[in-house]
Amino acid sequence: TLRLICTTTAVQRKNVGASGPEKYTEAFIKKQIEEFNLGKRHLANMMGEDPETFTQEDIDRAIAYLFPSGLFDKRARPLMKHPTEVFPEQRKIQWGEDGRPFHFLFYTGKQSYYSLMHETYEKFLNVQKHQDQLTAQDLPVQKEKRNLAGSRWLTKIELEEMLLEQVSDDDYSRFIQLLQKLVALPCADIEEKYIQKFSKELPVQLQKVVIEPLQHDERGVAFSTGEGKRKTARATAVVYDNGTGKITVNGIDILHYFPVLQDREQLLFPFQFLGRIGIHDMVCTVSGGGRSAQAGAIRLASAKALRSFVTEKEVEFMRQAGLLTVDPRVKERKKPGQEGSRRKFTWKKR
Amino acid sequence: RIMPVRWSRYNPSYLEPEVKKESHQKPLEELTEEQREQMELKAVRPIKAAPPSLSSSVFSDPMISKFTNMMMKSGNKVLARSLMSQTLEAIKRKQLEKYHKAPENEKETIECNPYVIFHQALKNCQPIIGLSNITKGGKTYQVPVPLTDNRKCFLAMKWLITECRENKHRRTLMPEKLSQELLLAFNNEGPVIKRKHVLHKMAEANRAYAHFRWW
Repeated sequence: TLRLICTTTAVQRKNVGASGPEKYTEAFIKKQIEEFNLGKRHLANMMGEDPETFTQEDIDRAIAYLFPSGLFDKRARPLMKHPTEVFPEQRKIQWGEDGRPFHFLFYTGKQSYYSLMHETYEKFLNVQKHQDQLTAQDLPVQKEKRNLAGSRWLTKIELEEMLLEQVSDDDYSRFIQLLQKLVALPCADIEEKYIQKFSKELPVQLQKVVIEPLQHDERGVAFSTGEGKRKTARATAVVYDNGTGKITVNGIDILHYFPVLQDREQLLFPFQFLGRIGIHDMVCTVSGGGRSAQAGAIRLASAKALRSFVTEKEVEFMRQAGLLTVDPRVKERKKPGQEGSRRKFTWKKR
Repeated sequence: RIMPVRWSRYNPSYLEPEVKKESHQKPLEELTEEQREQMELKAVRPIKAAPPSLSSSVFSDPMISKFTNMMMKSGNKVLARSLMSQTLEAIKRKQLEKYHKAPENEKETIECNPYVIFHQALKNCQPIIGLSNITKGGKTYQVPVPLTDNRKCFLAMKWLITECRENKHRRTLMPEKLSQELLLAFNNEGPVIKRKHVLHKMAEANRAYAHFRWW
């Protein structure tokens, strides 16, 4: 199984919707919604604002003003949100008063998953029928390739939230395989709407980062700053224009600070990649970490600083060369029962 | 399916970085559709950070870095790197000596670039086929098996290093031993090439068991 070390907190949130049948009746939730709306209007009146245009942000600000709390955990502070956010959506009870279940696939155990698979396969057969009709009429079969790079399929957790029941790894991979088969057919454009329910747009380019403009010195020389880190080392770099290619670290020249060739190579890597070795001058400060970690931190800081001097395309090239990502690798912790992070104690037969 | 062998700190969606300058400066004369799709994929997915041993300068070579890492003991990269550079220097010196002593017509055939010699020597040492132990009916047989490119490189480098560490005189220094071995391998002579031929002969001898392989 995949150990989820590298995921975001959003994914690690417990999926309450799939845990079991609903604990709150529909009438209860309706009452909560009415109470929430009334409370919202009262709050707007108290704050002296218009009850019709009172948004969620205004509610949060009003509650923070009226009930100030010094608690550190944000989840422990007083909260006023719409009941659908507070009480997560859960499966309604699936059988009637006589005990007979509503859905025909109830006794499979995973009714929504199997009904989804049946629906998708129905669409697949539909597309094949359409294709056969076109070939029978001797019309050309369209072959527009769908852009696969710009979208991704729903993750297992998102699928669970959609179906409100537990989905296992194998089931999830079978579903994704079926979707891929459906998309691979030439006439899949007919079912485009159905497929879009299960695909998410990836941000078109990972250039969400804002590139800062150049700043100017007292003498009129353009410069820009960048920060970088690697393991425990933190570095800040200031790259000046119109220089001779001198690099100073903590007031010391790089030849004296980094006697090893590999570290100096890493420092010059961003400049060499862009072809701007003799043009820029650099002054950096670095603390923490070891010799290689400090070199990596300065490399990241200088790459970030160079973004302001360079066109967008070259920034994209730098990103694809791996110069602009923070290296997440850190020292692995030691575990109890083992000598180090991986090494086990010597095994003795007796 | 995502099956990590050992977990890594990166999300599985992160792609490997491409350090060479030329691959980014090819405008639109890309070779295949595959490369175009790869480019689009790279534009959307996040990319891992380049490791410290990789750089876009002319002097960094992935094969040489791999060899340096294999020579390294207890994480002493400084020592390994200096030994490697001394080896390349020793190769260059020997070749230059030969070059200056040779008559005019032979001067063009002598190769002086140590990187070219290194790559050619490695290629000459790579075995084509390997042996693997397969247990069938209680007995273990040595079955001839095709090798991947990575495995071939690894075996060639491993043989060179073990040969230098064990079968030489104790007092000679590593750069000297390595340069000698590399020059012999470049001319298809020497103990490493002999080991490769022995492996090939064993594979040929065990040809009968080749059908035991199921992959």
